[in-house]
Amino acid sequence: MVLVASLVVATDLFGTRGALFGSATPEPRDAAFSRIDSAPATQTEQTVLISQPWWQTVRRFRGVGTQETPAFGIGDEAIQWRVTWNCERGRFLVRASGRAEPLIDSSCAGETTTELSGTVEGGLQIEADGPWSAQVEQQVDVPLVEPPLPVMTAPDTSEVASGDFYRMDQVGQGRMTIYRLPDDRYALRLSDFYVTPNVDLEIRLSPLREPETTRDYLSAPAKLAAPLPTTTGSMNFALPEDVDLSRYRSVVIWCPIIDSAYAAATLERDQ
Amino acid sequence: MLGRRSIPVVLPSRRDPRLKLSVVIIALQVLGQTVLDFKVSIAQILITIGVCALIDTSLTLKRQGVLAWPASALLTGNSIAFILRASGTDHGDWWSLNGIEYFVLAALVSLVVKELVRPGGHHRFNPSNIGIIWVLLVIGPVHVFPQYLWWGPAGPAVIAALVVIVLGAVWVLRAVRMLGMALAFLVPFTALIGVFAATGQSFVAIWQEGPISGFDYWVKICTSPELLVFVCFMMSDPATAARTPVSRIIYGAATAVVAAALVFFQPTEFGIKVAILSSLTLTCALVPVIEAVTRRLQRGPGSPSEASPAQPPPLRGRLGAGALRPASIAVVIIALTAVVGTAALADNKDLYYIERGLTGPVNAQ
Repeated sequence: MVLVASLVVATDLFGTRGALFGSATPEPRDAAFSRIDSAPATQTEQTVLISQPWWQTVRRFRGVGTQETPAFGIGDEAIQWRVTWNCERGRFLVRASGRAEPLIDSSCAGETTTELSGTVEGGLQIEADGPWSAQVEQQVDVPLVEPPLPVMTAPDTSEVASGDFYRMDQVGQGRMTIYRLPDDRYALRLSDFYVTPNVDLEIRLSPLREPETTRDYLSAPAKLAAPLPTTTGSMNFALPEDVDLSRYRSVVIWCPIIDSAYAAATLERDQ
Repeated sequence: MLGRRSIPVVLPSRRDPRLKLSVVIIALQVLGQTVLDFKVSIAQILITIGVCALIDTSLTLKRQGVLAWPASALLTGNSIAFILRASGTDHGDWWSLNGIEYFVLAALVSLVVKELVRPGGHHRFNPSNIGIIWVLLVIGPVHVFPQYLWWGPAGPAVIAALVVIVLGAVWVLRAVRMLGMALAFLVPFTALIGVFAATGQSFVAIWQEGPISGFDYWVKICTSPELLVFVCFMMSDPATAARTPVSRIIYGAATAVVAAALVFFQPTEFGIKVAILSSLTLTCALVPVIEAVTRRLQRGPGSPSEASPAQPPPLRGRLGAGALRPASIAVVIIALTAVVGTAALADNKDLYYIERGLTGPVNAQ
């Protein structure tokens, strides 16, 4: 019996091995197509890849005094959700239908974030003494697959550099492209990108051509290009206004928490 | 003395080839722990060896009333810890017990199969091979994996390991008269892998970006220290290999052909490594057939001795008579599990994502 059972599990007949010992690959899910959940989906894509959990904006509300917000939904895939709120005076009370206790009951004290769990249906009933604002976000770990920005295909925009990611301390793959926009600023696009997930990763510009190790990377000063909250998918970033691209020869995914260069792509200049 | 009872102690002979093999594997383990970045801890190694030694010593004491040096069991434990890895174990974390249950499980399976599956009164399978295969196929790639085929760039560390393997191979294989068997495996296997490389086969591995194909496919498989360790130190177990010089050549060549056939379908390094290990499981099961065929070939058809009543009965008759015994049925099921389980890895989506490093923290191979 033990041998026959081993045969069944070893051959993964009827998915027995996955059922008994788990799977490294989740069921295919819909990728996100925008950093804002309410944006209309322009495409659909199923994926089994996982991103570092990131915060996707669900809705932004503004009001004065007591009001009920329009209805919104927290997705089934959300790990948790949060409300970042601000009010000028008095107390700020937030209730949701179906919940006996208020979600938030606090004094106004500048911008405050309250993390929440569970689902919410309908809108929020907000009680305040004056003007207020609230941003609802959900935390998801699906890849973010943004379409290219319209300005990236504008006639006066040019593609100035591109390159493929290679692994350094961690797995990194995909392609990056840098565009010079009509206003002389630069935008960076990551396509089919994946880097080993971790929190607080950063995209940095390095003057080194092909850094191979963290030690290589640290041997020359690098510039922060943008934070990288989402580690899987296709994404667009605006580079800082003061970037002089001629000084840099590679893009590096940097983890400041453990001082580790995860992956890099060498800038191949387009003629 | 144990109470009033006197227990003889049997120490190992200096000429025992198992001691030579242990010296080689320990030397490689030391290199693995120091310069080769093996993702296995000293604690995992010691516990695996300890479990095997404890079981074997206890069984010998109970059966024979002697306290014998557990040479085979020590080798089994050492070999398991040399090849098996638990996902998430970091190199240099010397006292990590991460995934220790899988090492213990492999040790238990090795010895249970060795002690219980004994058609004809002898164990049929290489113990460490069967334990490693069982854990890799049943527990699966989410939790365990075999030591990488690639041990690192061709620097001093890898060269030192290769020197240890080659010198150790000559030392051990000459002692057990298996140099011919090793060549009988390596020549057809490397030729077949060369054909696969030329026809566009490729595989993915966690340690390399992108698919490995072309000449690199051949190099990464055929020059792997892991392959040499398998051929020289696992296939060469005299207790489970074929016994006569000619049958050992057939045994080596047959294992090569089975290994290559199983490798052909594998798109991942995990699958390739399991395919190589599984080939030995199958050929160990077939050793009586290999030996019978060898005898027949050596006698030649129509030989007068074939009709002699003093000779064993014809091959078909002997296989038929033994086939329904529980131990023989167990041998068939184990061999089938290894081969079918390995073939099923070719379509394992988990494995593909793991080997491409896309599962992130879920599996840290």
